[in-house]
Amino acid sequence: MSVIEINSLTKHFSGKKFSGEKIKALEKVSFNVGNGEIFGLLGPNGAGKTTLVKILLGITFATEGTAKLFDKPVTNVSVKKKVGYLPENHRFPNYLTGEQVIDYFGKLSGLKKSDLDKTTYKYLKMVGMDEWGTTKIKKYSKGMMQRLGLAQAMISNPDLIFLDEPTDGVDPIGRKEIRDVLLDLKSQGKTIFLNSHLLSEIELICDKVAILNKGELVKVGSVEDITSTGNKYIFTTGDLPEEIMNKVLSEYKGTLHGKNEFECTINTLEEVNVIVDYLRSQKILIHGFSKEKNSLESMFINLIEQKN
Amino acid sequence: MVLYAFIKGVFREALAKRILITIFGFFSVLIVLFVFAITNSTVEGLQLMLESGSAGGLKEAVLTFESYIVSGIPMFMLVASMLIITSSFIPDMLKKGHIDLLLSKPISRTKIVIGHFLAGTLLVLVSFTFLLGSIWILVSAKTGYWNVSFLYSILWFTAIFSILYSAVMLIGFLSRSTILTIMINMLLFFPTTFLLYLANTYFQSDQKGIVFGPVAEALLKFFYNILPKAWDLQDVCAQYVTQTPVTNTMPIISSVLFMCVMLSLNIWYFNKKDY
Ligand SMILES: Nc1ncnc2c1ncn2[C@@H]1O[C@H](COP(=O)(O)OP(=O)(O)OP(=O)(O)O)[C@@H](O)[C@H]1O
Ligand SMILES: [Mg+2]
Repeated sequence: MSVIEINSLTKHFSGKKFSGEKIKALEKVSFNVGNGEIFGLLGPNGAGKTTLVKILLGITFATEGTAKLFDKPVTNVSVKKKVGYLPENHRFPNYLTGEQVIDYFGKLSGLKKSDLDKTTYKYLKMVGMDEWGTTKIKKYSKGMMQRLGLAQAMISNPDLIFLDEPTDGVDPIGRKEIRDVLLDLKSQGKTIFLNSHLLSEIELICDKVAILNKGELVKVGSVEDITSTGNKYIFTTGDLPEEIMNKVLSEYKGTLHGKNEFECTINTLEEVNVIVDYLRSQKILIHGFSKEKNSLESMFINLIEQKN
Repeated sequence: MVLYAFIKGVFREALAKRILITIFGFFSVLIVLFVFAITNSTVEGLQLMLESGSAGGLKEAVLTFESYIVSGIPMFMLVASMLIITSSFIPDMLKKGHIDLLLSKPISRTKIVIGHFLAGTLLVLVSFTFLLGSIWILVSAKTGYWNVSFLYSILWFTAIFSILYSAVMLIGFLSRSTILTIMINMLLFFPTTFLLYLANTYFQSDQKGIVFGPVAEALLKFFYNILPKAWDLQDVCAQYVTQTPVTNTMPIISSVLFMCVMLSLNIWYFNKKDY
Protein backbone atom coordinates (compact mmCIF):
# COMPACT_ATOMS: atom_id res chain seq x y z
CA MET A 1 0.00 0.00 0.00
CA SER A 2 1.18 3.51 -0.75
CA VAL A 3 1.31 5.84 2.21
CA ILE A 4 1.81 8.89 0.01
CA GLU A 5 0.28 9.21 -3.43
CA ILE A 6 1.03 12.26 -5.53
CA ASN A 7 -0.56 12.79 -8.89
CA SER A 8 0.55 15.52 -11.30
CA LEU A 9 0.90 17.94 -8.46
CA THR A 10 1.42 21.52 -9.59
CA LYS A 11 1.98 24.64 -7.56
CA HIS A 12 2.37 28.13 -8.93
CA PHE A 13 3.05 31.07 -6.67
CA SER A 14 2.37 34.57 -7.82
CA GLY A 15 5.72 36.24 -8.42
CA LYS A 16 6.58 39.90 -8.06
CA LYS A 17 3.63 42.12 -7.35
CA PHE A 18 1.74 43.32 -10.45
CA SER A 19 4.13 41.56 -12.84
CA GLY A 20 1.67 38.76 -13.43
CA GLU A 21 4.65 36.42 -13.44
CA LYS A 22 4.26 32.97 -11.94
CA ILE A 23 6.81 31.09 -9.90
CA LYS A 24 6.51 27.45 -10.85
CA ALA A 25 7.40 25.75 -7.58
CA LEU A 26 6.08 22.36 -8.72
CA GLU A 27 5.20 21.17 -12.21
CA LYS A 28 3.15 17.97 -12.64
CA VAL A 29 4.99 15.91 -10.07
CA SER A 30 3.81 12.34 -9.54
CA PHE A 31 5.19 9.54 -7.37
CA ASN A 32 4.23 7.20 -4.56
CA VAL A 33 5.88 6.33 -1.30
CA GLY A 34 5.29 2.85 0.07
CA ASN A 35 4.70 1.79 3.62
CA GLY A 36 7.84 1.45 5.74
CA GLU A 37 10.15 3.20 3.29
CA ILE A 38 12.69 5.87 4.00
CA PHE A 39 12.13 8.20 1.10
CA GLY A 40 14.58 10.96 0.26
CA LEU A 41 13.62 14.03 -1.74
CA LEU A 42 16.63 15.77 -3.23
CA GLY A 43 17.08 18.91 -5.21
CA PRO A 44 18.97 22.17 -5.33
CA ASN A 45 17.83 25.23 -3.40
CA GLY A 46 14.45 26.41 -4.57
CA ALA A 47 13.62 23.12 -6.30
CA GLY A 48 10.28 22.89 -4.53
CA LYS A 49 11.03 20.29 -1.84
CA THR A 50 9.60 22.25 1.05
CA THR A 51 6.63 23.29 -1.04
CA LEU A 52 5.86 19.65 -1.78
CA VAL A 53 5.95 18.69 1.89
CA LYS A 54 3.81 21.67 2.81
CA ILE A 55 1.18 20.63 0.30
CA LEU A 56 1.18 17.11 1.72
CA LEU A 57 0.55 18.57 5.17
CA GLY A 58 -2.19 20.97 4.10
CA ILE A 59 -0.09 24.05 4.92
CA THR A 60 -0.05 25.20 1.32
CA PHE A 61 -2.64 24.32 -1.30
CA ALA A 62 -1.86 22.77 -4.68
CA THR A 63 -2.75 24.68 -7.82
CA GLU A 64 -3.54 21.44 -9.62
CA GLY A 65 -3.27 17.71 -9.13
CA THR A 66 -4.03 15.54 -6.16
CA ALA A 67 -2.13 14.35 -3.12
CA LYS A 68 -3.20 11.64 -0.71
CA LEU A 69 -1.90 10.41 2.63
CA PHE A 70 -3.10 7.00 3.77
CA ASP A 71 -5.57 7.01 0.90
CA LYS A 72 -7.26 10.17 2.12
CA PRO A 73 -7.00 13.61 0.54
CA VAL A 74 -4.50 15.86 2.33
CA THR A 75 -7.25 18.33 3.17
CA ASN A 76 -8.62 15.80 5.64
CA VAL A 77 -7.52 17.10 9.05
CA SER A 78 -7.85 13.82 10.93
CA VAL A 79 -5.17 12.18 8.76
CA LYS A 80 -2.64 14.41 10.48
CA LYS A 81 -3.01 12.43 13.71
CA LYS A 82 -0.83 9.82 12.03
CA VAL A 83 1.75 12.31 10.80
CA GLY A 84 4.76 13.97 12.43
CA TYR A 85 6.58 16.96 10.97
CA LEU A 86 9.86 18.75 11.49
CA PRO A 87 9.68 21.99 9.48
CA GLU A 88 12.80 23.67 8.13
CA ASN A 89 13.75 26.69 10.26
CA HIS A 90 11.18 25.83 12.86
CA ARG A 91 10.68 28.40 15.54
CA PHE A 92 9.14 27.19 18.77
CA PRO A 93 7.81 29.76 21.22
CA ASN A 94 11.08 30.57 23.00
CA TYR A 95 9.61 31.15 26.44
CA LEU A 96 8.91 27.42 26.73
CA THR A 97 11.26 24.75 28.06
CA GLY A 98 12.08 21.72 25.92
CA GLU A 99 9.65 19.66 27.92
CA GLN A 100 6.88 22.23 27.48
CA VAL A 101 7.43 22.35 23.72
CA ILE A 102 6.89 18.60 23.53
CA ASP A 103 3.92 18.89 25.84
CA TYR A 104 2.26 21.69 23.86
CA PHE A 105 2.68 20.17 20.41
CA GLY A 106 1.88 16.72 21.76
CA LYS A 107 -1.44 17.99 23.04
CA LEU A 108 -2.13 19.68 19.72
CA SER A 109 -1.56 16.27 18.15
CA GLY A 110 -4.35 14.98 20.34
CA LEU A 111 -2.30 13.29 23.07
CA LYS A 112 -3.52 13.18 26.64
CA LYS A 113 -1.54 14.38 29.60
CA SER A 114 -1.15 10.83 30.92
CA ASP A 115 0.37 9.66 27.60
CA LEU A 116 2.73 12.59 27.54
CA ASP A 117 3.94 12.03 31.09
CA LYS A 118 5.08 8.61 30.01
CA THR A 119 6.63 9.43 26.65
CA THR A 120 8.07 12.96 26.78
CA TYR A 121 11.35 11.91 28.33
CA LYS A 122 11.55 8.73 26.30
CA TYR A 123 11.75 10.80 23.13
CA LEU A 124 13.95 13.49 24.61
CA LYS A 125 16.38 10.75 25.61
CA MET A 126 16.24 9.26 22.13
CA VAL A 127 17.58 12.50 20.68
CA GLY A 128 20.01 13.03 23.54
CA MET A 129 18.17 15.96 25.07
CA ASP A 130 16.84 14.48 28.30
CA GLU A 131 19.13 16.60 30.43
CA TRP A 132 17.86 19.75 28.80
CA GLY A 133 14.14 19.16 29.28
CA THR A 134 13.67 21.81 31.93
CA THR A 135 15.84 24.48 30.29
CA LYS A 136 14.21 27.30 28.36
CA ILE A 137 14.77 26.75 24.66
CA LYS A 138 16.08 30.25 24.10
CA LYS A 139 19.25 28.86 25.67
CA TYR A 140 19.51 26.03 23.14
CA SER A 141 22.07 25.85 20.36
CA LYS A 142 21.01 25.29 16.75
CA GLY A 143 21.70 21.56 16.80
CA MET A 144 19.86 21.20 20.08
CA MET A 145 16.83 22.90 18.59
CA GLN A 146 17.00 20.48 15.71
CA ARG A 147 17.11 17.49 18.05
CA LEU A 148 14.18 18.86 20.01
CA GLY A 149 12.33 19.34 16.74
CA LEU A 150 12.92 15.72 15.89
CA ALA A 151 11.59 14.60 19.27
CA GLN A 152 8.58 16.81 18.67
CA ALA A 153 7.97 15.15 15.30
CA MET A 154 8.00 11.70 16.89
CA ILE A 155 5.97 12.44 20.00
CA SER A 156 2.59 11.23 18.80
CA ASN A 157 4.11 7.98 17.59
CA PRO A 158 3.11 8.78 13.99
CA ASP A 159 3.15 6.26 11.17
CA LEU A 160 4.54 8.82 8.75
CA ILE A 161 7.19 11.41 9.55
CA PHE A 162 8.22 14.36 7.38
CA LEU A 163 11.64 15.77 8.10
CA ASP A 164 12.79 18.90 6.29
CA GLU A 165 16.59 19.05 6.60
CA PRO A 166 16.69 17.22 9.93
CA THR A 167 20.47 17.27 10.24
CA ASP A 168 20.82 20.97 9.47
CA GLY A 169 23.21 22.42 12.05
CA VAL A 170 23.83 19.11 13.79
CA ASP A 171 27.39 17.95 14.43
CA PRO A 172 28.70 14.70 12.83
CA ILE A 173 28.09 12.62 15.92
CA GLY A 174 24.61 14.04 16.22
CA ARG A 175 24.01 13.26 12.56
CA LYS A 176 24.97 9.68 13.14
CA GLU A 177 22.66 9.58 16.14
CA ILE A 178 19.82 10.99 14.09
CA ARG A 179 20.45 8.42 11.36
CA ASP A 180 20.26 5.70 13.98
CA VAL A 181 16.99 7.10 15.28
CA LEU A 182 15.60 7.09 11.75
CA LEU A 183 16.71 3.52 11.13
CA ASP A 184 15.14 2.55 14.42
CA LEU A 185 11.88 4.16 13.33
CA LYS A 186 12.06 2.27 10.07
CA SER A 187 12.52 -0.98 11.93
CA GLN A 188 9.26 -0.17 13.72
CA GLY A 189 7.58 -0.01 10.32
CA LYS A 190 7.28 3.79 10.12
CA THR A 191 7.49 5.62 6.85
CA ILE A 192 9.95 8.50 6.71
CA PHE A 193 10.00 11.30 4.17
CA LEU A 194 13.28 13.15 4.18
CA ASN A 195 14.25 16.42 2.50
CA SER A 196 17.95 16.93 2.36
CA HIS A 197 20.95 18.31 0.52
CA LEU A 198 23.31 15.93 2.25
CA LEU A 199 23.52 13.30 -0.44
CA SER A 200 25.99 11.06 1.32
CA GLU A 201 23.55 10.88 4.17
CA ILE A 202 20.61 10.11 1.96
CA GLU A 203 22.65 7.42 0.31
CA LEU A 204 23.30 5.83 3.67
CA ILE A 205 19.74 5.44 4.82
CA CYS A 206 17.20 5.97 2.06
CA ASP A 207 15.49 3.13 0.24
CA LYS A 208 14.13 5.33 -2.46
CA VAL A 209 14.89 8.80 -3.69
CA ALA A 210 13.34 11.37 -5.97
CA ILE A 211 15.23 14.21 -7.53
CA LEU A 212 13.50 17.50 -8.09
CA ASN A 213 14.84 20.35 -10.17
CA LYS A 214 13.05 23.65 -10.71
CA GLY A 215 9.79 22.04 -9.72
CA GLU A 216 10.09 19.11 -12.08
CA LEU A 217 10.66 15.52 -11.12
CA VAL A 218 13.91 14.47 -12.76
CA LYS A 219 14.25 10.98 -11.46
CA VAL A 220 12.70 8.62 -8.99
CA GLY A 221 13.81 5.17 -7.96
CA SER A 222 15.78 3.14 -5.47
CA VAL A 223 19.22 4.42 -4.49
CA GLU A 224 20.66 1.31 -6.17
CA ASP A 225 18.98 2.04 -9.49
CA ILE A 226 19.95 5.66 -9.51
CA THR A 227 23.59 5.22 -8.61
CA SER A 228 24.46 2.15 -10.65
CA THR A 229 25.79 3.23 -14.04
CA GLY A 230 24.65 0.62 -16.50
CA ASN A 231 26.91 -2.42 -16.21
CA LYS A 232 30.39 -1.16 -15.74
CA TYR A 233 32.82 -3.51 -14.00
CA ILE A 234 36.23 -2.69 -12.69
CA PHE A 235 38.87 -5.39 -12.46
CA THR A 236 42.04 -5.07 -10.43
CA THR A 237 44.69 -7.60 -11.19
CA GLY A 238 48.35 -8.42 -10.98
CA ASP A 239 50.63 -6.94 -13.66
CA LEU A 240 49.10 -7.39 -17.12
CA PRO A 241 51.43 -8.35 -20.00
CA GLU A 242 51.13 -6.43 -23.30
CA GLU A 243 49.28 -9.15 -25.20
CA ILE A 244 46.64 -9.51 -22.56
CA MET A 245 46.17 -5.76 -22.46
CA ASN A 246 45.59 -5.81 -26.21
CA LYS A 247 43.09 -8.61 -25.96
CA VAL A 248 41.21 -6.75 -23.21
CA LEU A 249 41.11 -3.66 -25.42
CA SER A 250 40.04 -5.39 -28.61
CA GLU A 251 37.90 -8.29 -27.52
CA TYR A 252 36.27 -7.07 -24.34
CA LYS A 253 36.08 -3.38 -25.28
CA GLY A 254 37.73 -2.43 -22.03
CA THR A 255 39.44 0.75 -20.91
CA LEU A 256 42.77 0.45 -19.17
CA HIS A 257 43.63 2.35 -16.02
CA GLY A 258 47.33 1.50 -15.96
CA LYS A 259 48.92 -1.92 -15.66
CA ASN A 260 46.76 -3.30 -12.88
CA GLU A 261 43.28 -2.09 -13.58
CA PHE A 262 40.76 -1.96 -16.39
CA GLU A 263 37.06 -1.45 -16.77
CA CYS A 264 34.59 -3.11 -19.10
CA THR A 265 31.00 -2.54 -19.99
CA ILE A 266 29.33 -5.87 -19.77
CA ASN A 267 25.76 -6.93 -20.34
CA THR A 268 25.45 -10.29 -18.59
CA LEU A 269 27.02 -11.97 -15.61
CA GLU A 270 28.08 -14.75 -17.96
CA GLU A 271 30.38 -12.32 -19.76
CA VAL A 272 31.97 -11.29 -16.48
CA ASN A 273 32.81 -14.90 -15.88
CA VAL A 274 34.21 -15.31 -19.35
CA ILE A 275 36.69 -12.55 -18.60
CA VAL A 276 37.55 -14.14 -15.27
CA ASP A 277 38.12 -17.49 -17.00
CA TYR A 278 40.34 -15.88 -19.59
CA LEU A 279 42.45 -14.04 -16.99
CA ARG A 280 42.82 -17.15 -14.88
CA SER A 281 43.77 -19.25 -17.89
CA GLN A 282 46.60 -16.77 -18.47
CA LYS A 283 47.60 -17.14 -14.81
CA ILE A 284 46.75 -13.55 -14.07
CA LEU A 285 46.09 -12.93 -10.40
CA ILE A 286 42.73 -11.28 -9.86
CA HIS A 287 42.79 -8.95 -6.89
CA GLY A 288 39.15 -8.11 -7.18
CA PHE A 289 36.39 -6.93 -9.41
CA SER A 290 33.30 -4.85 -8.70
CA LYS A 291 30.33 -3.31 -10.32
CA GLU A 292 30.99 0.37 -10.53
CA LYS A 293 28.68 2.74 -8.73
CA ASN A 294 28.38 6.45 -9.08
CA SER A 295 28.09 8.26 -5.82
CA LEU A 296 24.68 9.83 -5.48
CA GLU A 297 26.45 13.12 -5.42
CA SER A 298 28.19 12.86 -8.79
CA MET A 299 25.02 11.45 -10.26
CA PHE A 300 23.01 14.34 -8.84
CA ILE A 301 25.42 16.96 -10.08
CA ASN A 302 25.47 15.42 -13.57
CA LEU A 303 21.71 15.29 -13.76
CA ILE A 304 21.16 18.83 -12.60
CA GLU A 305 23.87 20.15 -14.94
CA GLN A 306 22.34 18.34 -17.88
CA LYS A 307 18.96 19.89 -17.11
CA ASN A 308 20.33 23.39 -16.87
CA MET B 1 -9.48 18.61 23.63
CA VAL B 2 -7.14 19.93 20.95
CA LEU B 3 -9.04 23.22 20.98
CA TYR B 4 -8.61 23.41 24.74
CA ALA B 5 -4.86 22.80 24.43
CA PHE B 6 -4.70 25.55 21.84
CA ILE B 7 -6.54 28.07 24.03
CA LYS B 8 -4.29 27.15 26.93
CA GLY B 9 -1.31 27.75 24.65
CA VAL B 10 -2.50 31.27 23.88
CA PHE B 11 -2.93 31.93 27.59
CA ARG B 12 0.50 30.60 28.34
CA GLU B 13 1.86 32.94 25.69
CA ALA B 14 0.12 35.86 27.40
CA LEU B 15 1.63 34.78 30.70
CA ALA B 16 5.10 34.27 29.32
CA LYS B 17 5.14 37.60 27.53
CA ARG B 18 4.07 39.17 30.81
CA ILE B 19 0.89 40.39 29.18
CA LEU B 20 -1.35 39.11 31.97
CA ILE B 21 0.87 40.48 34.70
CA THR B 22 1.01 43.85 32.95
CA ILE B 23 -2.76 44.01 32.70
CA PHE B 24 -3.23 43.05 36.31
CA GLY B 25 -0.54 45.43 37.48
CA PHE B 26 -2.05 48.28 35.52
CA PHE B 27 -5.55 47.48 36.76
CA SER B 28 -4.31 47.29 40.34
CA VAL B 29 -2.89 50.79 39.99
CA LEU B 30 -6.24 51.96 38.64
CA ILE B 31 -8.02 50.37 41.57
CA VAL B 32 -5.71 52.03 44.08
CA LEU B 33 -6.25 55.40 42.40
CA PHE B 34 -9.93 54.72 42.57
CA VAL B 35 -9.75 54.06 46.31
CA PHE B 36 -8.11 57.45 46.75
CA ALA B 37 -10.72 59.07 44.57
CA ILE B 38 -13.69 57.80 46.49
CA THR B 39 -12.23 58.65 49.88
CA ASN B 40 -11.31 62.05 48.59
CA SER B 41 -13.17 65.23 47.92
CA THR B 42 -13.54 64.62 44.21
CA VAL B 43 -16.80 62.91 44.88
CA GLU B 44 -17.82 65.20 47.65
CA GLY B 45 -21.22 65.66 46.14
CA LEU B 46 -21.74 61.97 46.20
CA GLN B 47 -20.58 61.72 49.76
CA LEU B 48 -22.83 64.53 50.88
CA MET B 49 -25.74 62.85 49.23
CA LEU B 50 -24.87 59.60 50.89
CA GLU B 51 -24.61 61.08 54.32
CA SER B 52 -27.77 63.12 54.15
CA GLY B 53 -30.03 61.29 51.82
CA SER B 54 -32.82 58.84 52.26
CA ALA B 55 -32.54 55.29 50.93
CA GLY B 56 -33.89 56.39 47.54
CA GLY B 57 -31.37 59.18 47.34
CA LEU B 58 -28.54 56.84 48.15
CA LYS B 59 -29.54 54.40 45.47
CA GLU B 60 -29.89 57.20 42.98
CA ALA B 61 -26.46 58.54 43.80
CA VAL B 62 -24.75 55.16 43.49
CA LEU B 63 -26.44 54.42 40.19
CA THR B 64 -25.48 57.78 38.75
CA PHE B 65 -21.92 57.33 39.88
CA GLU B 66 -21.69 53.83 38.46
CA SER B 67 -23.22 54.84 35.16
CA TYR B 68 -20.54 57.52 34.84
CA ILE B 69 -17.92 54.83 35.22
CA VAL B 70 -19.29 52.59 32.50
CA SER B 71 -20.23 55.23 29.95
CA GLY B 72 -17.10 57.34 30.16
CA ILE B 73 -14.17 57.54 27.79
CA PRO B 74 -11.74 55.89 30.28
CA MET B 75 -13.54 52.55 29.99
CA PHE B 76 -13.38 52.71 26.21
CA MET B 77 -9.70 53.44 26.44
CA LEU B 78 -9.27 50.35 28.57
CA VAL B 79 -11.02 48.27 25.92
CA ALA B 80 -8.78 49.86 23.32
CA SER B 81 -5.66 49.02 25.31
CA MET B 82 -6.79 45.42 25.61
CA LEU B 83 -7.15 45.41 21.84
CA ILE B 84 -3.64 46.79 21.43
CA ILE B 85 -2.27 44.11 23.71
CA THR B 86 -4.03 41.31 21.83
CA SER B 87 -3.07 42.76 18.43
CA SER B 88 0.12 40.73 18.48
CA PHE B 89 -1.59 37.36 18.86
CA ILE B 90 -2.45 36.66 15.23
CA PRO B 91 0.74 38.11 13.64
CA ASP B 92 2.86 36.13 16.14
CA MET B 93 1.05 32.93 15.30
CA LEU B 94 1.58 33.52 11.58
CA LYS B 95 5.36 33.74 11.89
CA LYS B 96 7.23 31.35 9.64
CA GLY B 97 8.39 28.20 11.38
CA HIS B 98 5.50 28.32 13.85
CA ILE B 99 2.46 28.44 11.59
CA ASP B 100 3.80 25.52 9.50
CA LEU B 101 4.03 23.33 12.55
CA LEU B 102 0.66 24.43 13.89
CA LEU B 103 -1.07 23.68 10.61
CA SER B 104 0.52 20.23 10.44
CA LYS B 105 -1.35 19.27 13.61
CA PRO B 106 -4.80 17.68 13.55
CA ILE B 107 -6.58 20.94 14.30
CA SER B 108 -8.65 22.61 11.62
CA ARG B 109 -7.98 26.16 10.59
CA THR B 110 -11.52 27.09 11.57
CA LYS B 111 -10.83 25.86 15.10
CA ILE B 112 -7.63 27.86 15.25
CA VAL B 113 -9.56 31.04 14.45
CA ILE B 114 -12.27 30.23 16.97
CA GLY B 115 -9.67 29.23 19.54
CA HIS B 116 -7.90 32.55 19.18
CA PHE B 117 -11.16 34.43 19.44
CA LEU B 118 -12.20 32.54 22.57
CA ALA B 119 -8.77 32.88 24.15
CA GLY B 120 -8.74 36.66 23.64
CA THR B 121 -12.27 36.97 24.96
CA LEU B 122 -11.48 34.84 28.00
CA LEU B 123 -8.36 36.83 28.76
CA VAL B 124 -10.34 40.05 28.74
CA LEU B 125 -13.19 38.53 30.73
CA VAL B 126 -10.76 37.59 33.48
CA SER B 127 -9.13 41.02 33.44
CA PHE B 128 -12.39 42.97 33.50
CA THR B 129 -13.80 40.74 36.22
CA PHE B 130 -10.83 41.74 38.33
CA LEU B 131 -11.09 45.46 37.55
CA LEU B 132 -14.84 46.03 37.53
CA GLY B 133 -15.42 43.50 40.30
CA SER B 134 -13.00 45.35 42.56
CA ILE B 135 -14.58 48.69 41.73
CA TRP B 136 -17.99 47.29 42.47
CA ILE B 137 -16.91 45.96 45.85
CA LEU B 138 -15.24 49.26 46.71
CA VAL B 139 -18.20 51.42 45.77
CA SER B 140 -20.67 49.10 47.42
CA ALA B 141 -18.69 48.76 50.61
CA LYS B 142 -18.20 52.49 50.79
CA THR B 143 -21.85 53.34 50.23
CA GLY B 144 -23.55 50.27 51.62
CA TYR B 145 -25.69 49.94 48.51
CA TRP B 146 -24.92 46.76 46.59
CA ASN B 147 -26.07 47.29 43.02
CA VAL B 148 -25.70 43.82 41.53
CA SER B 149 -26.62 45.13 38.07
CA PHE B 150 -23.25 46.83 37.91
CA LEU B 151 -21.70 43.41 37.39
CA TYR B 152 -23.41 43.22 34.00
CA SER B 153 -20.83 45.73 32.87
CA ILE B 154 -18.17 42.98 33.02
CA LEU B 155 -20.05 41.04 30.37
CA TRP B 156 -20.84 44.15 28.35
CA PHE B 157 -17.28 45.29 28.14
CA THR B 158 -16.06 41.82 27.35
CA ALA B 159 -18.66 41.73 24.57
CA ILE B 160 -17.56 45.15 23.27
CA PHE B 161 -14.02 43.85 23.26
CA SER B 162 -14.97 40.66 21.37
CA ILE B 163 -16.88 42.58 18.74
CA LEU B 164 -13.93 44.84 18.04
CA TYR B 165 -11.44 41.97 18.43
CA SER B 166 -13.06 40.10 15.55
CA ALA B 167 -12.03 43.03 13.32
CA VAL B 168 -8.58 43.32 14.91
CA MET B 169 -8.02 39.63 14.15
CA LEU B 170 -8.91 40.12 10.52
CA ILE B 171 -6.49 43.03 10.21
CA GLY B 172 -3.87 40.78 11.85
CA PHE B 173 -4.47 38.02 9.31
CA LEU B 174 -4.31 40.44 6.40
CA SER B 175 -1.32 42.52 7.49
CA ARG B 176 0.62 39.81 9.38
CA SER B 177 2.23 42.63 11.34
CA THR B 178 1.54 43.73 14.90
CA ILE B 179 2.57 47.33 14.32
CA LEU B 180 0.39 47.67 11.23
CA THR B 181 -2.53 46.10 13.04
CA ILE B 182 -2.24 48.58 15.90
CA MET B 183 -1.81 51.54 13.55
CA ILE B 184 -4.79 50.65 11.41
CA ASN B 185 -6.93 50.27 14.49
CA MET B 186 -5.80 53.39 16.30
CA LEU B 187 -5.71 55.69 13.30
CA LEU B 188 -8.53 54.35 11.21
CA PHE B 189 -10.92 51.92 12.77
CA PHE B 190 -11.59 53.37 16.24
CA PRO B 191 -11.66 57.03 15.18
CA THR B 192 -14.04 56.19 12.35
CA THR B 193 -16.48 54.44 14.64
CA PHE B 194 -16.26 57.33 17.09
CA LEU B 195 -16.90 59.97 14.44
CA LEU B 196 -19.78 57.97 13.08
CA TYR B 197 -21.22 57.73 16.57
CA LEU B 198 -20.97 61.50 16.94
CA ALA B 199 -22.52 62.01 13.52
CA ASN B 200 -25.39 59.74 14.36
CA THR B 201 -26.02 61.49 17.68
CA TYR B 202 -25.97 64.75 15.78
CA PHE B 203 -28.49 63.55 13.20
CA GLN B 204 -30.82 62.44 15.95
CA SER B 205 -30.72 65.78 17.73
CA ASP B 206 -32.74 68.82 16.61
CA GLN B 207 -29.86 71.19 16.12
CA LYS B 208 -28.94 71.71 12.53
CA GLY B 209 -25.84 73.84 12.89
CA ILE B 210 -23.93 72.18 10.10
CA VAL B 211 -25.84 70.97 7.09
CA PHE B 212 -24.72 67.78 5.39
CA GLY B 213 -25.77 67.09 1.84
CA PRO B 214 -28.25 64.24 1.50
CA VAL B 215 -25.61 61.99 -0.07
CA ALA B 216 -23.10 62.63 2.71
CA GLU B 217 -25.73 62.04 5.33
CA ALA B 218 -26.83 58.79 3.71
CA LEU B 219 -23.23 57.62 3.47
CA LEU B 220 -22.49 58.44 7.09
CA LYS B 221 -25.62 56.65 8.17
CA PHE B 222 -24.76 53.66 6.03
CA PHE B 223 -21.31 53.27 7.56
CA TYR B 224 -22.67 53.95 11.00
CA ASN B 225 -25.12 51.13 10.53
CA ILE B 226 -22.71 48.49 9.27
CA LEU B 227 -19.80 49.22 11.63
CA PRO B 228 -19.77 48.10 15.26
CA LYS B 229 -21.14 50.60 17.75
CA ALA B 230 -18.91 50.44 20.77
CA TRP B 231 -20.03 53.85 22.01
CA ASP B 232 -23.71 53.10 21.75
CA LEU B 233 -23.08 49.81 23.49
CA GLN B 234 -21.51 51.71 26.36
CA ASP B 235 -24.69 53.77 26.61
CA VAL B 236 -26.77 50.60 26.62
CA CYS B 237 -24.47 49.18 29.29
CA ALA B 238 -25.13 52.25 31.42
CA GLN B 239 -28.83 51.63 31.08
CA TYR B 240 -28.35 48.07 32.29
CA VAL B 241 -26.26 49.17 35.22
CA THR B 242 -28.78 51.77 36.31
CA GLN B 243 -31.62 49.32 35.86
CA THR B 244 -33.43 51.51 33.34
CA PRO B 245 -35.19 49.91 30.39
CA VAL B 246 -33.03 49.62 27.29
CA THR B 247 -34.36 52.02 24.70
CA ASN B 248 -32.52 50.98 21.57
CA THR B 249 -31.50 47.43 20.72
CA MET B 250 -30.34 48.24 17.18
CA PRO B 251 -26.70 48.83 18.22
CA ILE B 252 -26.61 45.42 19.90
CA ILE B 253 -28.04 43.56 16.94
CA SER B 254 -25.94 45.29 14.31
CA SER B 255 -22.73 44.94 16.34
CA VAL B 256 -23.27 41.24 16.87
CA LEU B 257 -23.98 40.89 13.16
CA PHE B 258 -20.76 42.73 12.43
CA MET B 259 -18.89 40.33 14.68
CA CYS B 260 -20.39 37.30 12.95
CA VAL B 261 -19.44 38.67 9.56
CA MET B 262 -15.90 39.42 10.74
CA LEU B 263 -15.46 35.96 12.23
CA SER B 264 -16.70 34.36 9.02
CA LEU B 265 -14.27 36.47 7.02
CA ASN B 266 -11.43 35.44 9.34
CA ILE B 267 -12.30 31.79 8.90
CA TRP B 268 -12.76 32.09 5.14
CA TYR B 269 -9.51 33.96 4.60
CA PHE B 270 -7.40 31.76 6.86
CA ASN B 271 -8.80 28.61 5.28
CA LYS B 272 -7.74 29.51 1.76
CA LYS B 273 -4.35 31.04 2.48
CA ASP B 274 -0.97 29.38 1.77
CA TYR B 275 1.66 29.48 4.51
N1 LIG C 1 5.09 31.59 -0.17
C1 LIG C 1 5.74 31.69 -1.33
N2 LIG C 1 5.47 32.68 -2.20
C2 LIG C 1 6.10 32.78 -3.37
N3 LIG C 1 7.05 31.92 -3.79
C3 LIG C 1 7.37 30.91 -2.98
C4 LIG C 1 6.75 30.74 -1.71
N4 LIG C 1 7.27 29.63 -1.12
C5 LIG C 1 8.17 29.15 -1.98
N5 LIG C 1 8.24 29.92 -3.09
C6 LIG C 1 9.10 29.67 -4.27
O1 LIG C 1 8.92 28.33 -4.67
C7 LIG C 1 10.15 27.75 -5.05
C8 LIG C 1 10.41 26.49 -4.26
O2 LIG C 1 10.67 26.80 -2.91
P1 LIG C 1 10.94 25.71 -1.81
O3 LIG C 1 11.00 26.39 -0.50
O4 LIG C 1 9.93 24.63 -1.95
O5 LIG C 1 12.37 25.17 -2.21
P2 LIG C 1 13.27 24.06 -1.51
O6 LIG C 1 13.47 22.99 -2.50
O7 LIG C 1 12.70 23.67 -0.21
O8 LIG C 1 14.63 24.84 -1.30
P3 LIG C 1 15.72 24.74 -0.11
O9 LIG C 1 16.60 23.61 -0.45
O10 LIG C 1 16.46 26.03 -0.22
O11 LIG C 1 14.99 24.58 1.17
C9 LIG C 1 11.20 28.83 -4.87
O12 LIG C 1 11.44 29.42 -6.12
C10 LIG C 1 10.56 29.82 -3.95
O13 LIG C 1 11.00 31.11 -4.24
MG1 LIG D 1 13.37 23.74 1.73
